[in-house]
Amino acid sequence: MAVQVAENSRLAQIMESRGISRRSFLGYCAGIAAMIGLSEAAAPEVAKALDSIIYVGAEDAPHALTPVIWMEGSSCTGCTESFAQVDTPDAGSVVLELISLNYCETLSAAAGHSMEDARLHTIEREKGKYILVYEGSVVEGWEGNALRVAGEKGTDLLLETAASAAAVVAFGSCACDGGWQAARPNPSHACGVQKFLQKNQVNVPVINIPCCPGNPEWLVAVLVEVILMGRIPELNDKNEPKLMFDQTIHDNCPRRGHFENGEFVYQFGSIEEEKGYCLYALGCKGPQTFTNCPIVKWNRRVSFCIESGAPCAGCGVINPMNPAMNWVDENTPFLARHRFFSFFGNPVDPALIAGVVTGVVVAALAVHGIGMKLTKRTDGGADFETIRKYDKIHETPNAAEYAAAADKLYDELDAQGLEERKANHRKGGDK
Amino acid sequence: MAHLAHYKEAHPLPFVITHWINLVCMVCLIITGFYIHYPLFGGFMGACRGLHICCGIIITINCIVRLILAFVVKSAPTAGTRSVVRDYKTWLPQQNNKHQLGAWIKYYLFAQKDHPLGAKLGVPQKLSYLLIPIILLFMAWTGFALWIPTSSWGISQFLIGAWGVMTIRIVHYFCMFVFIIFMCIHIYLANIEGLAPTKLMFLRKEAPGLVYDPEKRNVVGFDGLGEEPSYGEAPSKRDLDAEGVKC
Repeated sequence: MAVQVAENSRLAQIMESRGISRRSFLGYCAGIAAMIGLSEAAAPEVAKALDSIIYVGAEDAPHALTPVIWMEGSSCTGCTESFAQVDTPDAGSVVLELISLNYCETLSAAAGHSMEDARLHTIEREKGKYILVYEGSVVEGWEGNALRVAGEKGTDLLLETAASAAAVVAFGSCACDGGWQAARPNPSHACGVQKFLQKNQVNVPVINIPCCPGNPEWLVAVLVEVILMGRIPELNDKNEPKLMFDQTIHDNCPRRGHFENGEFVYQFGSIEEEKGYCLYALGCKGPQTFTNCPIVKWNRRVSFCIESGAPCAGCGVINPMNPAMNWVDENTPFLARHRFFSFFGNPVDPALIAGVVTGVVVAALAVHGIGMKLTKRTDGGADFETIRKYDKIHETPNAAEYAAAADKLYDELDAQGLEERKANHRKGGDK
Repeated sequence: MAHLAHYKEAHPLPFVITHWINLVCMVCLIITGFYIHYPLFGGFMGACRGLHICCGIIITINCIVRLILAFVVKSAPTAGTRSVVRDYKTWLPQQNNKHQLGAWIKYYLFAQKDHPLGAKLGVPQKLSYLLIPIILLFMAWTGFALWIPTSSWGISQFLIGAWGVMTIRIVHYFCMFVFIIFMCIHIYLANIEGLAPTKLMFLRKEAPGLVYDPEKRNVVGFDGLGEEPSYGEAPSKRDLDAEGVKC
């Protein structure tokens, strides 16, 4: 079947016209299958699904292409760039080029009213069927007026478009939790799509795909799962697809062996860097970043940050419901190992404080020990008080009687040489 | 003087065992924790992590078991007596050492010459011992949030969502110093007036000394334990808990 799809379908023809072999297409399908939790043997199914979603304008196309609206909030358009990377078109770019991208502020050829019409028509005609991909943060500041498009507030446009979507894909860290735009003091009140929609009671499933920018491979995998399986991918508690974002970069890192051996790069340009040692000491955030970058890689599966020598900056760390915990505030300084707390906005080094306090305590104990020796308390301690001060003041019944007996006992024990009563032997006796 | 007799009833066998486990695990946790934080030489990261997690789980279970045993096992409310009460009562304010926080602080600062007539645990000691299980369970919480197999638990996710993993890591490391400081003070105070408490706790070796009557709340005699002649009243073996005597 796969062969049929690859050789005879319209998709195959498109592939061929762009110089993509059947072998590389099936390899790509197997990769997608793995990402959405299927065995690689499901590659033919994936190929079939891809074929079915590619709208080529023919009447015999099995299904019309799933429409996608791509909106931008407060973004640098880096995610669009990432999505549209087309130096040498491969299978991924073909698939992504040929989904029915009905509205995209950066890529659409149309402009002005015709663009807005395309969006409105999609909402109207494809109600509950289209997928909204949102890039950039939602800016709630200035009552949403910062991002006006066609005379309407950006926040209103998002609510209107999301309300009728089958699913919303928050693509890139900014869309997930505000990203670097939510960094302190967050003057524009930026937040992620999920939080904004929940706040406005729009109950559409939100799929968060983090990183700065988002990896197009993940977007393809999510789209394929939605269309092939007809379901939203299984999500973790941050609404990220579980299979892609439930392991840390550290878990799959090619430099992991060096970490285990305690072989670290402490300085760029050093011999350790040349040897490809672990970058943790230089501030690599791989151990706290839950993405599969080392497996999927970037730029057409060529390499990724750590492989190319840069410590992970942790751009895949998201907290969708808490923009204040965005990856920039959480992970800076990028090139230093984290050792500081933020205490009322000031960096505090807890290890230094702890070390100093420990040193002071040990020194104080040493001095105290000398005091104990000088006051002759190291041999069983000082004499017991005969009565507790509290009992004396409050005249507790019988306490004075027992105290007198104890006082007498101490003297007798001292006389017998069983327990020395130090007060009796002090100069002048202060008993 | 202040030399109360040291009896096994102060530290029953189950507590000696939990104390040993605490000691071994704590030492292992601190050493492996430092190595994980500062891997100055290679080759032991996997072993140290494994040992760290293993000891972390053991000490957490040990802490919970110790807390439960406090309500089951009986121990002496003070040194110098063989009377026993439910152990948890020796952790709460007792008749034997109520209103004595000031006296203890003054004594340790050399502002009071006489040793306070106390219970098994002095007031500052009692407060710090009550704090330790809380910090230990907090350490376990942060530790399990950092360990991948348990990081997906709801309780871990709650912490990760609130602080982020790196802050948890720093807090976990920082709290270790609380234990180091505690251990320094604990070891110092336990031994500065003689090694008898340590020998009793680790080796169950009893030592002669003054006899304390929890009912009279004062010293009543001297127990030589056969090594020296005894004097005055002998230690009571009565079960104060059964009689409902306030300790």
